Amino acid sequence: MNKKKNHYRAPIQDTFRKKSPFGQLLDHMGKVRECTLLLGDGLVNYSKGDYKNFSELTENVSKLEHEADIIKRNLRNHLPKSLFMPVDKGKFMWALREQDKILDHAENLVRMLDMRHTKIPKELQEIFIAHVKLVMKTVEAMEEAVENIKDLIETSFVKREREQTKKLIWKVHEYEWEADQKKYEMTQGIYKLEKKLAPMDVYHLLKISDWVDDIADHAENVADWLRSMIAR
Amino acid sequence: MDATFLLIIGGASAIAFYMAWSIGANDVANSMATAVGAKAITFKQAVTIAGVLSFVGAVFVGPHVAETIKGKIVNVGIISPNILLLGFVSSLLAAAIWVTVSTWKEMPISTTHSIIGALMGFGIIAGGMSSVNWGKVGSVAASWVLSPIAGCILAFLVFKIIVKLIFSKDDPVKSAKIIGPIIIGFTAFLITASLLLKTSLSKRFDISNSEGIIIAAIVSFIVGALGIVLLRKIKAKKVEDYSTVEGIFRKLQIITSCYVAFSHGANDVANAIGPVAGIIPLASTGEMSATADIPIALLALGGIGIAVGCMTWGRKVMRTVGGKITSLTNTRGFSVDFGAATTVLIASKLGLPISTSHTVVGAVIGVGLARGLEAVDLSIIKKIIVSWLLTLPIAAGTSITIFLCLRVIVG
Repeated sequence: MNKKKNHYRAPIQDTFRKKSPFGQLLDHMGKVRECTLLLGDGLVNYSKGDYKNFSELTENVSKLEHEADIIKRNLRNHLPKSLFMPVDKGKFMWALREQDKILDHAENLVRMLDMRHTKIPKELQEIFIAHVKLVMKTVEAMEEAVENIKDLIETSFVKREREQTKKLIWKVHEYEWEADQKKYEMTQGIYKLEKKLAPMDVYHLLKISDWVDDIADHAENVADWLRSMIAR
Repeated sequence: MDATFLLIIGGASAIAFYMAWSIGANDVANSMATAVGAKAITFKQAVTIAGVLSFVGAVFVGPHVAETIKGKIVNVGIISPNILLLGFVSSLLAAAIWVTVSTWKEMPISTTHSIIGALMGFGIIAGGMSSVNWGKVGSVAASWVLSPIAGCILAFLVFKIIVKLIFSKDDPVKSAKIIGPIIIGFTAFLITASLLLKTSLSKRFDISNSEGIIIAAIVSFIVGALGIVLLRKIKAKKVEDYSTVEGIFRKLQIITSCYVAFSHGANDVANAIGPVAGIIPLASTGEMSATADIPIALLALGGIGIAVGCMTWGRKVMRTVGGKITSLTNTRGFSVDFGAATTVLIASKLGLPISTSHTVVGAVIGVGLARGLEAVDLSIIKKIIVSWLLTLPIAAGTSITIFLCLRVIVG
């Protein structure tokens, strides 16, 4: 920055930082949002056997993950001990970490799918799409909850805003639970078809349903850390 | 009146003007940075307003602190008048140099500390340890610690009031339209009261304390009512329309920024003209008079110096600061300004020379403690403590050096 030119005394300016950690958390969340938008449609196309643009999607998700990583690292490396924040710094970092894991898992999922185009059996397609949609809904609900941080900060954590955030967090839990149920349905469906499918297909399908569900799990973790962050 | 007298007074006044200039350049950011950063006013408006109000504060509320700086730090009775004269000049010059250097070096020092350190240094060398009024220095030092704490507590309370009465309400905009003018009315009360209680203005118009309070109450009522009228058209655009609340406070913040500039002038003008006020009776009668009034022309000189400082170098300071402050929203800036200005004004009415910048920093921390800021860098506290420890010996050392040099030259 133009630190060198700045020879004038201004102690006050140093007490509050220009770049807000919460702003960066929201930037990071923006990357997650972009990724969910890509992933939702991409996975539906994949399940229908349309692998045409999947490599491109993988590249894009990978790029987003990398960009988010830079934000995360920047934030983590520039959070000095002397920085005083209105929330617990440890909890804040955990929320960021879990939010980053969403992208890690998304990248892992699309990379694995791109490596082996496992066909989703016709019988399971509907359940798979429903599962994907529920997972994306979980992440979207989480995004909304994180977004509400803006209002929390602005009002310095008044009760009304905290209640609102809590409601949004409840939504995350609800969707995550529903996604879990769908995952078990999916697993059950795969076992039903085990005689018909090649062993490698069964293995990969089981893995895929796990990987998809991991994303929702981490979205839920973000919501949990957010909840404990705003608790008094 | 002979030539030597004029020469001495002229020289001392020039140095005092230099000191006032550096004070203005230094501290303008304290009052206006938050308003400029929040885009409530432009650079030009800020430096002009700061200059004018510092001047007004200096001329009308200044004298109380000047008394302390002038006579009470050094026990003037036991030092011969000529030495005393030299000492005051060298102290002033030493303090001014140190303020300029640290402005350049970006160190968070206090102009108030500089002048007191310089006077102490001269006192020690001229009259020995016993000539420095250590009790007074101690009480002044205590007020340095207390001023950030007072700023912190006041800003914390103001921000908590804003949160409780505005943000936690179901219709924040509606509440802001009522609470904002009330706080502004209160600000007007404090400013008017400080102008009318025991100042040159009240003496001239023969206003007693109770009359002063009544006038201040009337003024505050008018200002508050005016605020309500001006804000009545603002309506919330949606539920939880916090940006409109900030918009209201953007307007109110201009007033609190002026408040800081005003109290800064009142408080800090003494640092520049206090020693000169001691020199004038010394040079004219050869004796230190205990009751000498500080002439209004001298206050005006200091006020003009601060104003010029604001408008020249202050612009540069402001540009750096204003561009950097983005995370301080209007409600926060308002709380910081109010807490700091009230502390400084009360201290200067009590005759305590406190540091404006340290009070502002204390106020920022207060808002942070009220969960109002996204991130406060507490390492600045360490810097401030270091500057506390550094300023006194350095200013004292410089003052001693200049004093010894001058003594050799003058013989």
